[in-house]
Amino acid sequence: MQYELRSQVIEPKRQTYQNIIDRMGDQPVSRYLEGTLDVQPRENFHYRPTWAQDRELYDERFSALRLTDPYSFTDPRQYYYMPYVTNRAGLHDGFGKTIKYLEDRELLAKMPTTWQSVLTSVVLPLRHYESGAQLVSVAGARFAYGTSLEQCCSYAAFDRIGNAQMLSRVGIALGGGSGDLLKLAKQEWLDGEHLQPLRRLVEEIMVVEDWAEGVLAIDLVDSLLYPLLYNRLDDVALTGGAGAYSLFTQHLWTWFADQRKWLDALVAVWAADPGHSEENQAILARIVATWAGRAQEAVGALASVIDAQVLDADSSTSLNEITQTRAAYWAKVTGGAV
Amino acid sequence: MSSGTLRQVGLDIQDSEENRGLIDAIKADNPELTIRHIPGLVKLQAAGQIVINRVTVESMLGREWETGEFQLSIVSYAGNFSEWDDDQIIVKWEH
Repeated sequence: MQYELRSQVIEPKRQTYQNIIDRMGDQPVSRYLEGTLDVQPRENFHYRPTWAQDRELYDERFSALRLTDPYSFTDPRQYYYMPYVTNRAGLHDGFGKTIKYLEDRELLAKMPTTWQSVLTSVVLPLRHYESGAQLVSVAGARFAYGTSLEQCCSYAAFDRIGNAQMLSRVGIALGGGSGDLLKLAKQEWLDGEHLQPLRRLVEEIMVVEDWAEGVLAIDLVDSLLYPLLYNRLDDVALTGGAGAYSLFTQHLWTWFADQRKWLDALVAVWAADPGHSEENQAILARIVATWAGRAQEAVGALASVIDAQVLDADSSTSLNEITQTRAAYWAKVTGGAV
Repeated sequence: MSSGTLRQVGLDIQDSEENRGLIDAIKADNPELTIRHIPGLVKLQAAGQIVINRVTVESMLGREWETGEFQLSIVSYAGNFSEWDDDQIIVKWEH
Protein backbone atom coordinates (compact mmCIF):
# COMPACT_ATOMS: atom_id res chain seq x y z
CA MET A 1 0.00 0.00 0.00
CA GLN A 2 1.30 3.37 -0.91
CA TYR A 3 0.57 6.75 0.55
CA GLU A 4 0.97 9.93 -1.33
CA LEU A 5 1.68 13.01 0.71
CA ARG A 6 0.36 16.19 -0.73
CA SER A 7 0.15 19.64 0.69
CA GLN A 8 -3.06 21.44 0.16
CA VAL A 9 -2.84 25.20 0.02
CA ILE A 10 -5.79 27.07 1.42
CA GLU A 11 -5.69 30.61 0.13
CA PRO A 12 -6.56 33.06 2.88
CA LYS A 13 -9.46 35.36 2.02
CA ARG A 14 -7.25 38.35 2.61
CA GLN A 15 -3.53 38.65 3.19
CA THR A 16 -3.65 41.74 5.32
CA TYR A 17 -5.76 44.51 6.83
CA GLN A 18 -7.91 46.94 4.91
CA ASN A 19 -5.67 49.93 5.63
CA ILE A 20 -2.86 48.16 3.77
CA ILE A 21 -5.07 46.86 0.95
CA ASP A 22 -6.30 50.41 0.24
CA ARG A 23 -2.76 51.58 -0.35
CA MET A 24 -0.66 48.67 -1.47
CA GLY A 25 -3.03 45.97 -2.62
CA ASP A 26 -3.66 42.65 -0.93
CA GLN A 27 -0.20 41.50 0.08
CA PRO A 28 1.44 40.60 3.35
CA VAL A 29 3.52 43.46 4.76
CA SER A 30 5.53 44.11 7.90
CA ARG A 31 3.95 44.58 11.32
CA TYR A 32 5.28 48.10 11.27
CA LEU A 33 3.25 49.05 8.20
CA GLU A 34 0.17 47.20 9.46
CA GLY A 35 0.22 49.23 12.65
CA THR A 36 1.11 52.53 11.01
CA LEU A 37 -0.48 53.26 7.65
CA ASP A 38 -3.65 55.34 7.93
CA VAL A 39 -4.24 54.39 11.55
CA GLN A 40 -4.93 57.93 12.72
CA PRO A 41 -8.53 59.00 11.97
CA ARG A 42 -9.03 61.61 9.27
CA GLU A 43 -12.75 62.18 9.24
CA ASN A 44 -15.99 62.06 11.22
CA PHE A 45 -14.65 64.13 14.08
CA HIS A 46 -17.67 65.06 16.14
CA TYR A 47 -16.24 67.86 18.19
CA ARG A 48 -13.74 70.56 17.58
CA PRO A 49 -11.21 71.34 20.27
CA THR A 50 -12.72 74.05 22.49
CA TRP A 51 -9.35 75.83 22.55
CA ALA A 52 -9.05 75.98 18.76
CA GLN A 53 -12.45 76.37 17.14
CA ASP A 54 -11.12 76.44 13.60
CA ARG A 55 -9.19 73.16 13.87
CA GLU A 56 -10.20 69.52 13.84
CA LEU A 57 -8.98 67.17 16.58
CA TYR A 58 -6.33 65.89 14.17
CA ASP A 59 -5.51 68.63 11.76
CA GLU A 60 -2.54 69.05 9.46
CA ARG A 61 -2.74 72.81 9.96
CA PHE A 62 -1.14 72.38 13.38
CA SER A 63 2.14 72.75 11.54
CA ALA A 64 3.22 74.95 8.66
CA LEU A 65 5.28 72.06 7.31
CA ARG A 66 2.99 69.90 5.20
CA LEU A 67 3.14 66.59 3.44
CA THR A 68 0.89 65.78 0.49
CA ASP A 69 0.64 62.29 1.91
CA PRO A 70 1.76 62.04 5.55
CA TYR A 71 2.63 58.38 4.96
CA SER A 72 5.24 59.28 2.36
CA PHE A 73 7.34 59.36 5.51
CA THR A 74 7.86 56.08 7.32
CA ASP A 75 10.23 55.48 10.18
CA PRO A 76 13.46 54.04 8.72
CA ARG A 77 13.92 52.16 11.99
CA GLN A 78 10.41 50.67 11.62
CA TYR A 79 9.65 51.09 15.30
CA TYR A 80 6.31 50.06 16.60
CA TYR A 81 5.92 49.31 20.27
CA MET A 82 7.70 45.96 20.46
CA PRO A 83 10.86 46.64 18.47
CA TYR A 84 11.12 50.04 20.13
CA VAL A 85 10.91 48.57 23.61
CA THR A 86 13.29 45.72 22.77
CA ASN A 87 15.81 48.14 21.34
CA ARG A 88 15.66 50.55 24.26
CA ALA A 89 15.74 47.75 26.82
CA GLY A 90 19.02 46.73 25.19
CA LEU A 91 20.34 50.27 25.36
CA HIS A 92 19.46 50.68 29.03
CA ASP A 93 20.75 47.21 29.90
CA GLY A 94 24.06 48.22 28.42
CA PHE A 95 23.97 51.46 30.35
CA GLY A 96 23.05 49.62 33.57
CA LYS A 97 26.11 47.38 33.21
CA THR A 98 28.33 50.40 32.61
CA ILE A 99 27.03 52.24 35.64
CA LYS A 100 27.43 49.16 37.83
CA TYR A 101 31.05 48.89 36.72
CA LEU A 102 31.58 52.58 37.42
CA GLU A 103 30.05 52.18 40.88
CA ASP A 104 31.95 49.00 41.76
CA ARG A 105 35.29 50.59 40.93
CA GLU A 106 34.24 54.05 42.12
CA LEU A 107 35.55 55.29 38.81
CA LEU A 108 33.50 58.48 38.78
CA ALA A 109 34.87 59.58 42.14
CA LYS A 110 38.39 58.78 40.91
CA MET A 111 38.07 61.14 37.95
CA PRO A 112 40.22 64.28 38.08
CA THR A 113 38.37 67.00 40.03
CA THR A 114 38.17 69.21 36.94
CA TRP A 115 36.14 66.53 35.19
CA GLN A 116 33.94 66.05 38.24
CA SER A 117 33.12 69.71 38.15
CA VAL A 118 32.35 69.51 34.41
CA LEU A 119 29.87 66.79 35.32
CA THR A 120 28.18 68.70 38.13
CA SER A 121 28.17 72.12 36.48
CA VAL A 122 27.39 71.22 32.86
CA VAL A 123 26.34 67.63 32.24
CA LEU A 124 24.07 66.78 35.17
CA PRO A 125 21.89 69.92 34.89
CA LEU A 126 21.07 68.78 31.36
CA ARG A 127 18.56 66.33 32.80
CA HIS A 128 16.28 69.37 32.98
CA TYR A 129 17.06 70.14 29.35
CA GLU A 130 15.98 66.58 28.49
CA SER A 131 12.81 67.14 30.42
CA GLY A 132 12.02 70.26 28.38
CA ALA A 133 12.80 68.41 25.16
CA GLN A 134 10.41 65.68 26.29
CA LEU A 135 7.53 68.15 26.45
CA VAL A 136 8.34 69.39 22.96
CA SER A 137 8.25 65.83 21.62
CA VAL A 138 4.99 65.16 23.41
CA ALA A 139 3.49 68.13 21.57
CA GLY A 140 4.65 66.49 18.35
CA ALA A 141 3.07 63.21 19.40
CA ARG A 142 -0.25 64.97 19.90
CA PHE A 143 -0.35 67.45 17.02
CA ALA A 144 1.54 65.76 14.20
CA TYR A 145 -0.65 64.60 11.34
CA GLY A 146 -0.13 60.95 10.40
CA THR A 147 0.63 57.95 12.59
CA SER A 148 4.13 57.52 11.16
CA LEU A 149 5.10 60.96 12.45
CA GLU A 150 3.23 60.72 15.75
CA GLN A 151 4.88 57.40 16.56
CA CYS A 152 8.38 58.78 16.11
CA CYS A 153 7.58 61.79 18.28
CA SER A 154 6.10 59.59 21.02
CA TYR A 155 9.14 57.37 21.13
CA ALA A 156 11.44 60.40 21.06
CA ALA A 157 9.52 61.71 24.10
CA PHE A 158 9.95 58.41 25.98
CA ASP A 159 13.62 58.51 25.04
CA ARG A 160 14.05 61.87 26.68
CA ILE A 161 12.89 60.50 30.01
CA GLY A 162 15.35 57.67 29.49
CA ASN A 163 18.18 60.07 28.76
CA ALA A 164 17.36 62.18 31.80
CA GLN A 165 17.34 58.98 33.83
CA MET A 166 20.77 58.01 32.56
CA LEU A 167 22.13 61.41 33.61
CA SER A 168 20.42 61.10 37.00
CA ARG A 169 21.97 57.70 37.62
CA VAL A 170 25.39 59.09 36.79
CA GLY A 171 24.73 61.89 39.26
CA ILE A 172 23.67 59.48 41.98
CA ALA A 173 26.69 57.28 41.32
CA LEU A 174 29.03 60.26 41.47
CA GLY A 175 27.36 61.39 44.70
CA GLY A 176 28.09 58.00 46.27
CA GLY A 177 24.45 56.89 46.22
CA SER A 178 22.84 60.13 47.39
CA GLY A 179 20.76 62.57 45.39
CA ASP A 180 22.59 65.65 46.67
CA LEU A 181 24.36 66.28 43.39
CA LEU A 182 21.05 66.19 41.54
CA LYS A 183 19.71 68.88 43.86
CA LEU A 184 22.84 70.86 43.20
CA ALA A 185 22.40 70.30 39.46
CA LYS A 186 18.90 71.70 39.63
CA GLN A 187 20.20 74.76 41.43
CA GLU A 188 22.79 75.15 38.67
CA TRP A 189 20.03 74.86 36.04
CA LEU A 190 18.04 77.59 37.79
CA ASP A 191 20.86 79.94 38.78
CA GLY A 192 24.06 79.03 36.92
CA GLU A 193 25.00 81.89 34.66
CA HIS A 194 26.26 79.59 31.90
CA LEU A 195 23.03 77.57 31.76
CA GLN A 196 20.59 80.45 31.51
CA PRO A 197 20.79 80.93 27.71
CA LEU A 198 20.01 77.24 27.24
CA ARG A 199 17.22 77.24 29.83
CA ARG A 200 15.65 80.31 28.33
CA LEU A 201 15.90 78.81 24.85
CA VAL A 202 14.28 75.52 25.88
CA GLU A 203 11.48 77.30 27.68
CA GLU A 204 10.80 79.45 24.64
CA ILE A 205 10.79 76.40 22.38
CA MET A 206 8.33 74.70 24.75
CA VAL A 207 5.70 77.35 23.97
CA VAL A 208 6.21 77.46 20.20
CA GLU A 209 2.81 76.73 18.73
CA ASP A 210 3.91 74.85 15.62
CA TRP A 211 4.92 71.39 16.87
CA ALA A 212 7.31 70.78 13.97
CA GLU A 213 9.11 74.04 14.60
CA GLY A 214 9.52 73.03 18.25
CA VAL A 215 10.88 69.59 17.39
CA LEU A 216 13.30 71.04 14.85
CA ALA A 217 14.41 73.83 17.18
CA ILE A 218 15.23 71.31 19.91
CA ASP A 219 17.04 69.26 17.31
CA LEU A 220 19.12 72.28 16.36
CA VAL A 221 20.28 72.38 19.99
CA ASP A 222 20.71 68.59 20.14
CA SER A 223 22.83 68.48 17.04
CA LEU A 224 25.34 70.80 18.67
CA LEU A 225 25.06 69.64 22.27
CA TYR A 226 25.28 65.89 21.70
CA PRO A 227 28.30 65.84 19.37
CA LEU A 228 30.08 68.35 21.59
CA LEU A 229 29.50 66.72 24.99
CA TYR A 230 29.14 63.08 24.15
CA ASN A 231 31.51 62.72 21.24
CA ARG A 232 34.20 65.43 21.07
CA LEU A 233 34.56 65.85 24.82
CA ASP A 234 34.55 62.09 25.16
CA ASP A 235 37.77 61.95 23.12
CA VAL A 236 39.35 64.56 25.37
CA ALA A 237 38.23 62.63 28.45
CA LEU A 238 39.88 59.44 27.24
CA THR A 239 43.27 61.08 26.85
CA GLY A 240 42.80 63.27 29.94
CA GLY A 241 42.42 60.44 32.46
CA ALA A 242 38.62 60.61 32.70
CA GLY A 243 37.76 57.30 31.06
CA ALA A 244 34.68 57.04 33.27
CA TYR A 245 33.16 59.99 31.42
CA SER A 246 33.60 58.25 28.10
CA LEU A 247 32.16 54.99 29.44
CA PHE A 248 28.72 56.43 30.09
CA THR A 249 28.54 59.03 27.34
CA GLN A 250 28.82 56.31 24.69
CA HIS A 251 25.23 55.31 25.49
CA LEU A 252 23.89 58.83 25.01
CA TRP A 253 25.80 59.02 21.76
CA THR A 254 24.24 55.74 20.63
CA TRP A 255 20.81 57.22 21.31
CA PHE A 256 21.63 60.34 19.34
CA ALA A 257 22.68 58.28 16.31
CA ASP A 258 19.31 56.53 16.50
CA GLN A 259 17.42 59.81 16.81
CA ARG A 260 19.21 61.18 13.74
CA LYS A 261 17.89 58.36 11.60
CA TRP A 262 14.23 59.35 11.74
CA LEU A 263 14.67 63.11 12.00
CA ASP A 264 17.01 63.37 9.04
CA ALA A 265 14.68 61.13 7.03
CA LEU A 266 11.69 63.29 7.97
CA VAL A 267 13.46 66.53 7.05
CA ALA A 268 14.43 65.00 3.69
CA VAL A 269 10.81 63.98 3.04
CA TRP A 270 9.55 67.46 3.97
CA ALA A 271 12.07 69.12 1.67
CA ALA A 272 11.30 66.80 -1.26
CA ASP A 273 7.51 66.63 -0.95
CA PRO A 274 5.93 66.66 -4.43
CA GLY A 275 3.30 69.26 -3.54
CA HIS A 276 4.89 71.38 -0.85
CA SER A 277 8.66 71.18 -1.30
CA GLU A 278 9.18 74.86 -2.06
CA GLU A 279 7.08 76.12 0.85
CA ASN A 280 8.60 73.51 3.14
CA GLN A 281 12.15 74.46 2.21
CA ALA A 282 11.37 78.10 2.87
CA ILE A 283 9.84 77.24 6.24
CA LEU A 284 12.77 75.01 7.16
CA ALA A 285 15.12 77.84 6.23
CA ARG A 286 13.12 80.25 8.41
CA ILE A 287 13.17 77.83 11.36
CA VAL A 288 16.92 77.35 11.07
CA ALA A 289 17.45 81.10 10.73
CA THR A 290 15.32 81.72 13.85
CA TRP A 291 16.83 79.10 16.15
CA ALA A 292 20.28 78.00 14.95
CA GLY A 293 22.05 81.13 16.15
CA ARG A 294 20.43 80.92 19.57
CA ALA A 295 21.30 77.24 19.82
CA GLN A 296 24.92 78.00 19.07
CA GLU A 297 24.96 80.79 21.62
CA ALA A 298 23.41 78.56 24.33
CA VAL A 299 25.74 75.65 23.72
CA GLY A 300 28.64 78.08 23.33
CA ALA A 301 28.10 79.27 26.90
CA LEU A 302 28.54 75.67 28.07
CA ALA A 303 31.59 75.19 25.87
CA SER A 304 33.37 78.16 27.41
CA VAL A 305 32.67 76.88 30.93
CA ILE A 306 34.11 73.51 29.96
CA ASP A 307 37.16 75.19 28.43
CA ALA A 308 37.70 77.16 31.63
CA GLN A 309 37.68 73.93 33.67
CA VAL A 310 39.46 71.44 31.42
CA LEU A 311 42.39 73.25 29.92
CA ASP A 312 42.96 71.22 26.77
CA ALA A 313 39.27 70.58 26.02
CA ASP A 314 39.11 73.05 23.13
CA SER A 315 35.32 72.81 23.20
CA SER A 316 34.72 76.18 21.58
CA THR A 317 36.79 75.16 18.56
CA SER A 318 35.00 71.83 18.39
CA LEU A 319 31.65 73.61 18.61
CA ASN A 320 32.60 75.86 15.69
CA GLU A 321 33.44 72.82 13.58
CA ILE A 322 30.21 71.07 14.49
CA THR A 323 28.23 74.24 13.73
CA GLN A 324 29.81 74.48 10.30
CA THR A 325 28.98 70.85 9.47
CA ARG A 326 25.39 71.40 10.50
CA ALA A 327 25.14 74.66 8.56
CA ALA A 328 26.37 72.83 5.46
CA TYR A 329 23.75 70.15 6.03
CA TRP A 330 20.94 72.69 6.28
CA ALA A 331 22.17 74.62 3.27
CA LYS A 332 21.95 71.39 1.29
CA VAL A 333 18.48 70.51 2.57
CA THR A 334 17.01 73.93 1.90
CA GLY A 335 18.72 74.40 -1.45
CA GLY A 336 21.05 77.10 -0.19
CA ALA A 337 18.37 79.18 1.52
CA VAL A 338 20.30 79.33 4.81
CA MET B 1 26.74 22.15 -19.90
CA SER B 2 26.06 25.18 -22.20
CA SER B 3 22.49 24.22 -23.02
CA GLY B 4 21.67 27.80 -23.99
CA THR B 5 18.83 28.29 -21.54
CA LEU B 6 19.52 29.50 -18.05
CA ARG B 7 18.78 27.01 -15.34
CA GLN B 8 16.54 28.04 -12.45
CA VAL B 9 18.05 28.77 -9.08
CA GLY B 10 15.86 28.83 -6.02
CA LEU B 11 15.72 29.86 -2.38
CA ASP B 12 13.20 28.58 0.14
CA ILE B 13 12.78 31.04 2.96
CA GLN B 14 10.77 30.62 6.11
CA ASP B 15 7.61 32.72 6.00
CA SER B 16 7.88 34.84 9.11
CA GLU B 17 7.62 38.45 10.21
CA GLU B 18 11.42 38.83 10.43
CA ASN B 19 11.97 37.52 6.92
CA ARG B 20 9.48 39.80 5.23
CA GLY B 21 11.99 42.61 4.82
CA LEU B 22 14.55 40.14 3.48
CA ILE B 23 12.10 38.83 0.89
CA ASP B 24 11.18 42.39 -0.12
CA ALA B 25 14.88 43.16 -0.58
CA ILE B 26 15.42 40.08 -2.77
CA LYS B 27 12.35 41.07 -4.75
CA ALA B 28 13.75 44.56 -5.27
CA ASP B 29 17.17 43.35 -6.41
CA ASN B 30 15.93 40.56 -8.69
CA PRO B 31 13.21 41.83 -11.02
CA GLU B 32 12.76 38.44 -12.73
CA LEU B 33 11.91 36.65 -9.51
CA THR B 34 8.91 34.33 -9.23
CA ILE B 35 7.48 33.98 -5.77
CA ARG B 36 5.28 31.21 -4.45
CA HIS B 37 3.77 31.18 -1.01
CA ILE B 38 3.20 27.75 0.46
CA PRO B 39 2.32 27.20 4.12
CA GLY B 40 5.23 28.29 6.26
CA LEU B 41 7.50 28.80 3.29
CA VAL B 42 8.18 31.31 0.56
CA LYS B 43 9.75 29.81 -2.56
CA LEU B 44 11.78 32.22 -4.67
CA GLN B 45 12.96 31.24 -8.13
CA ALA B 46 14.83 33.01 -10.89
CA ALA B 47 16.64 32.05 -14.04
CA GLY B 48 20.41 32.21 -13.83
CA GLN B 49 21.03 33.81 -10.46
CA ILE B 50 19.63 35.45 -7.35
CA VAL B 51 21.46 38.35 -5.73
CA ILE B 52 21.04 39.53 -2.16
CA ASN B 53 22.59 42.87 -1.25
CA ARG B 54 23.22 43.74 2.38
CA VAL B 55 22.46 47.43 1.80
CA THR B 56 19.03 46.70 0.32
CA VAL B 57 18.14 44.27 3.10
CA GLU B 58 19.20 46.82 5.72
CA SER B 59 17.03 49.52 4.20
CA MET B 60 14.03 47.17 4.13
CA LEU B 61 14.57 45.92 7.67
CA GLY B 62 15.44 49.31 9.12
CA ARG B 63 18.37 47.89 11.04
CA GLU B 64 21.87 46.58 10.50
CA TRP B 65 22.02 43.12 8.96
CA GLU B 66 24.93 40.77 8.49
CA THR B 67 24.93 38.42 5.55
CA GLY B 68 25.57 35.59 8.02
CA GLU B 69 22.06 36.10 9.38
CA PHE B 70 20.79 34.74 6.10
CA GLN B 71 21.53 31.27 7.53
CA LEU B 72 18.69 31.76 10.00
CA SER B 73 16.12 32.53 7.31
CA ILE B 74 16.85 29.89 4.74
CA VAL B 75 15.23 26.43 4.68
CA SER B 76 16.59 25.09 1.42
CA TYR B 77 18.14 26.23 -1.84
CA ALA B 78 18.87 25.14 -5.38
CA GLY B 79 22.14 26.34 -6.91
CA ASN B 80 25.56 27.14 -5.54
CA PHE B 81 26.49 30.01 -3.32
CA SER B 82 28.98 31.46 -5.74
CA GLU B 83 29.60 34.43 -3.50
CA TRP B 84 28.93 35.05 0.18
CA ASP B 85 30.84 37.98 1.58
CA ASP B 86 30.06 40.89 3.90
CA ASP B 87 28.07 42.82 1.32
CA GLN B 88 26.56 40.36 -1.08
CA ILE B 89 25.27 36.84 -1.54
CA ILE B 90 24.94 35.42 -5.04
CA VAL B 91 23.28 32.09 -5.78
CA LYS B 92 23.86 30.57 -9.20
CA TRP B 93 24.82 27.34 -10.91
CA GLU B 94 28.55 27.20 -11.41
CA HIS B 95 28.85 24.05 -13.51
